[in-house]
Amino acid sequence: MQSNHSSDPKRVDKVVRYKPPAQGTPGAPGEDPTTDYMNVLGMIFSMCGLMMRLKWCAWVALYCSCISFANARVNDDTKQMLSSFMLSISAVVMSYLQNPQPMTPPWSSI
Amino acid sequence: MRTFLVFLLCAWVVSVSARAQEYEDNDFAEFEVFEEEDELIEDEDDQSSENGGSRGGAEGDIGGGGGGGGGGGGAGRAEGGGGGAGMGMDVDEDEVIVEDEDENDEFSHFHDEEEFIGFDSERPHGARSSKNQDEPKITIANVPLHLRSNWDSFYLEMVMIAGLVVYFINFIVGKTKNQKLANAWFNSHRSLLEQNFALVGDDGGKQPADNGGLQKESENVYTLWCSGRTSMEGMLVELKFIKRQDMIGIVSQLIRPSSDQLLIKVHLDEMDSFVFALATKKTAAKLAKEMTDISTFCPEKKSPEKFGVGSQYLLMNELGEVASYVLGDPKVTAVLSKFSSMVDFFHFSDQYSGPKQPEDTQPTTLPDVRCALVFGFNFPGRGNPSLEAIENMKPLLQLVLHLTDKLRRFKLSKEGKSKAEKNRSRVEEVFLKATHAARAEMAQAKREERKRMEREKMLQIDDPDKQRKWEEREQRRQMKRRAPKMKQLKTT
Repeated sequence: MQSNHSSDPKRVDKVVRYKPPAQGTPGAPGEDPTTDYMNVLGMIFSMCGLMMRLKWCAWVALYCSCISFANARVNDDTKQMLSSFMLSISAVVMSYLQNPQPMTPPWSSI
Repeated sequence: MRTFLVFLLCAWVVSVSARAQEYEDNDFAEFEVFEEEDELIEDEDDQSSENGGSRGGAEGDIGGGGGGGGGGGGAGRAEGGGGGAGMGMDVDEDEVIVEDEDENDEFSHFHDEEEFIGFDSERPHGARSSKNQDEPKITIANVPLHLRSNWDSFYLEMVMIAGLVVYFINFIVGKTKNQKLANAWFNSHRSLLEQNFALVGDDGGKQPADNGGLQKESENVYTLWCSGRTSMEGMLVELKFIKRQDMIGIVSQLIRPSSDQLLIKVHLDEMDSFVFALATKKTAAKLAKEMTDISTFCPEKKSPEKFGVGSQYLLMNELGEVASYVLGDPKVTAVLSKFSSMVDFFHFSDQYSGPKQPEDTQPTTLPDVRCALVFGFNFPGRGNPSLEAIENMKPLLQLVLHLTDKLRRFKLSKEGKSKAEKNRSRVEEVFLKATHAARAEMAQAKREERKRMEREKMLQIDDPDKQRKWEEREQRRQMKRRAPKMKQLKTT
């Protein structure tokens, strides 16, 4: 009845369901490359922290994971986020287990 | 209770193991004891026989300790032995060493006076005198302050942990603020949306949402899908807030202030063929660079001042009559002048295909296009919108609905229509020409694949006659293909 009214723009028969755009399409709402960049950066820093025993690298990796988490989409892969966090935390823990001395900042060795 | 006990036990085990680890790892621990002993020895320099014995013992120990490091170990041990031998005898220390070395050291003959008669007298600084100087003296390196375990020296770690805590507090605060702003916008516009759309808010799930409301895409992006209105497929509202949940976003906001954005994308069923964009100078440059349709159909920027629109805007228009139709409307110009700081851009296009694809992926087909009206607005308050200001944004949504109805009814003139069609066919032609090589390559690949399949099929057939025939035919075909090439070679 309501839809037949000439001044009423509502059309119940014209309802189209929302189709979310595929992930990764540029211009899709909420699409933000920061998460991916930070994930990769976090991975690199974690590896540096673990392999070269650089404590500040491990800390930076932890920060990268946090930034990646804060910028993530709601329906992003949580497993990836979790693994990124685990890797960076393990980098911090391992570097302090190997050498429990306080961290020396990277600029102090120059 | 039990879990608490288990936790206590774990904490105790960890602390004990950490202490053990610390003790083991402290390479300088064993020297700390000797440092004290060394000082004692230096004080007691008078040579009584009893003291000689104890000194020998102590230094022998030091020598043993230093032996690991490789330096002075031998001498220390020798002296220790000497001390033992000299017990109760008031003799010269060096002589004792010589006696002892005769028995044990394989190089002792170097120090034997009888082996080298007159050797020392030729050298004023002989082995005997250097022996006195070579007394094992272990200098303990000063352990730098930052290597000593002390809570004060972990200041960098404390800074890091404090940073993490601040980051998470900011995350929660920023997230809550964005949520509050999104809800404020939705609540103030809800009645207007419900008057115009049969469906307000949908998550795209299987079950039609009863009360979808805003959908959270990320902590700073919220979307709202509205559908069920005359002559349009739907309308996607996108609330793009500043990244308040991310501290990096807050810092970049301090450096380069920006405002929260409201993007409204209307998907029309049909509209006449034209591309039109009106945008602030900064956004115009961005749109012209990123949007496929604007960069192909109307890349040149004009000033819209003749329509009475502020000088902060630039016009990118395919057909002149569209601009006069849109901007000639007093309602539009009134909103543009009243909300000049809030209107960012209008982008109306029948060829809307979103932002350009990355350069490295060369498409072989024209991108899918649709009729779309995109409106970009800034929230008031330069990054800190008040709830009343959000309430006052209603006229913007009304303008969107007004322009949607207006453009749906708009019909181009005959000349305009033919010009638009010419433009579209020209673009298509240019595109086909540009991708000719890529398409030829694709066709070639497809042909080769087909041939390979045919060959495999023939090889599987058992009939040798058929196979031979097919091979001959194939050879002839190849010869034919090569023939003109040979001719060309001869002529050149």
